[in-house]
Amino acid sequence: NSSYQLSSVPLQILLYVNGIYYIFYFSATLAMIVYKSQVLSYPDDFLAPDLALLFVMAILEVLRLYLGSKGNLTEEEAPLGLSLVITVGSVILSVYFLVWQTYVLKADVILNAVLLFTYGLGSVLKVMAIAAFVR
Amino acid sequence: VAKLCVCDLLVAQCDVNCCCDPDCSAADFSLFTTCSVPVVTSDSRLCSQKAAIYSLDVEANPPERIFKLIDQVNPSIFCIHATNYKQALSFSPAEIPTSENFDQLLKQFGSATFSAEPDSWNMDTDAQTPSDANDTYRYEYGVPVQTVDAFLRLPSPVVSSWCSDANPAGFLVNQATKCTRPVSVEECGNIQAVSMLFYINSSILAVNITVQSIVVQSLNGMRTLPNGSDVLRLPMILDELCINIVLGVSYHITYTDAGEIIEAAASFVLGAINKAALSIQQSFEISFTQVNTTPVPRSGNPGYVVGLPIRAGFRPQGYPFPGEILFAALVLNTNKYSQLTILQSTSNQDCLAAQGARTPVLFGYNMISGCQLRIRAAMKCQPLTQTLLDLLKGQSFPEYVASFGNSQAQDVHDWVPITHLRTSDQSDNDRIYNTFQSSCQIPVSLEIEVKWTKYGSLVNPQAKIVNVTATIATTTVKQLPSGRERTIPITSSVVFTDISSPAEPGYKAWPTINVKLPFDFFFPFV
Repeated sequence: NSSYQLSSVPLQILLYVNGIYYIFYFSATLAMIVYKSQVLSYPDDFLAPDLALLFVMAILEVLRLYLGSKGNLTEEEAPLGLSLVITVGSVILSVYFLVWQTYVLKADVILNAVLLFTYGLGSVLKVMAIAAFVR
Repeated sequence: VAKLCVCDLLVAQCDVNCCCDPDCSAADFSLFTTCSVPVVTSDSRLCSQKAAIYSLDVEANPPERIFKLIDQVNPSIFCIHATNYKQALSFSPAEIPTSENFDQLLKQFGSATFSAEPDSWNMDTDAQTPSDANDTYRYEYGVPVQTVDAFLRLPSPVVSSWCSDANPAGFLVNQATKCTRPVSVEECGNIQAVSMLFYINSSILAVNITVQSIVVQSLNGMRTLPNGSDVLRLPMILDELCINIVLGVSYHITYTDAGEIIEAAASFVLGAINKAALSIQQSFEISFTQVNTTPVPRSGNPGYVVGLPIRAGFRPQGYPFPGEILFAALVLNTNKYSQLTILQSTSNQDCLAAQGARTPVLFGYNMISGCQLRIRAAMKCQPLTQTLLDLLKGQSFPEYVASFGNSQAQDVHDWVPITHLRTSDQSDNDRIYNTFQSSCQIPVSLEIEVKWTKYGSLVNPQAKIVNVTATIATTTVKQLPSGRERTIPITSSVVFTDISSPAEPGYKAWPTINVKLPFDFFFPFV
């Protein structure tokens, strides 16, 4: 029966878990930025880019998850390919929050490391799914 | 971190109990008892940081210092792993002035105060004037006195003793300030704040500030009143001196009881500076008087305040009968320190050479003063008596003393008459015997006894003068053989006696039960 179904179940599970995890990641990072602005010296020039990039990342993540899920379920390569491209952007943003943020707390390091791991795993699974669909 | 040492205060010397001091040798460490600074770290919020730990091993003989450099780890997950913001964890240093930013820094920090207050005031008054288009204002106590462009300024020292022109004068707030202004002869005409125009050109909304008087002070401090006292004099250079610079301004504002300002006058003291002067001290004063009243200085409100002069006055002339003074106000000396005075002791204790120096009688201060009288043979009795009486009592010894510190001259009942007594050191027998001989009675002492009582509530009793007695004691002086001298001490004193009776407690009456049956209670039967 699985030969008729090309959609990758692990990918779907990963996308679902990724969605939940990202909600947690977004609220945690936002809360930590607020905490940093109160406790540490966080001038507006540095606060604005951090917040802007966080919201951009949220938008990209929604798009990425939607396209990935749609592509996987409809077994089309185009949305999956687009999702992969967006993943590159998300990875860059995650690396920013890991390394180039104004203040990087240990919690930031942990969250972003987990996110990068899921991105990596997701990318591998998407490539495998695209390969399956194309064939 | 290993090089930081907070307790290293002495240079090239070992600080006691300072384990991180590099000037200490092992022999010094053996004398320490404890380490005053056990740990030196950088910001503890970092996830991993270097820490230098100093401790004393007291068990070893001799005690040794142990120094360890370790990595301290902050276990919290909110520890700072990295920062990309350089000034994050340290205080920001002030800008070092260079030739580029010097002008901007000077403009920002160069004056005595760092805020741009006058500009913001102008913006405030612009917002207010449309609504208060009428010229009459109703002022309340403390409200800044408004002028056409901003507020009436009374320059005063703010943080340092340099003048700041941003101090507004408050309504009914009598102020006197002194501050220092930087000046130079070269800038004579350019410094606005030493020119008369600066202080009178802003009119207090519909009331122009008039020049009441000008006093010119010369370089050595002598003050004269020039002709043409209300002509505007601007600073100018004359003979290498800059003259007509303002050394003091005294504003007198007259107001009505509705809270409007109807008159404003300014009195100036102008002076001169020479080339060597770098700064001058200016003094400013403002006082408010209500229209149609003369300011009466009080010595307490209502009770006398210790240290303020006793207020005393005379029955007005033309009213010889005591009954008539009920309809007239008493005459007081306008200088409140000259109303009741006693002789002031001088360094030269000769009574006859005393030049009339008097000292005011202050409430609550017992005073004694005196002088030495040298009697020679040639002195006549009667002129001597008169001179001594003048010396003791002064030129105008008052007749009435105010019982309260704020007694008005119109309320004659509030004033206590001074009782005069005479005592003599002769007994009555001697006096009768001596009337047949030429003996001379001269006054030798004046004792003023002021009896006062506490009046009013127990919590805040007010001092009220009840009785004033002036006692003159006389003594006999026999005629001296020629060539001989005699010295008699003359004294005058003031004593304040508290005759307040102790307060009696007052209790409310016991409540009584007031029961009465109505008259017609047993109506049908009685």
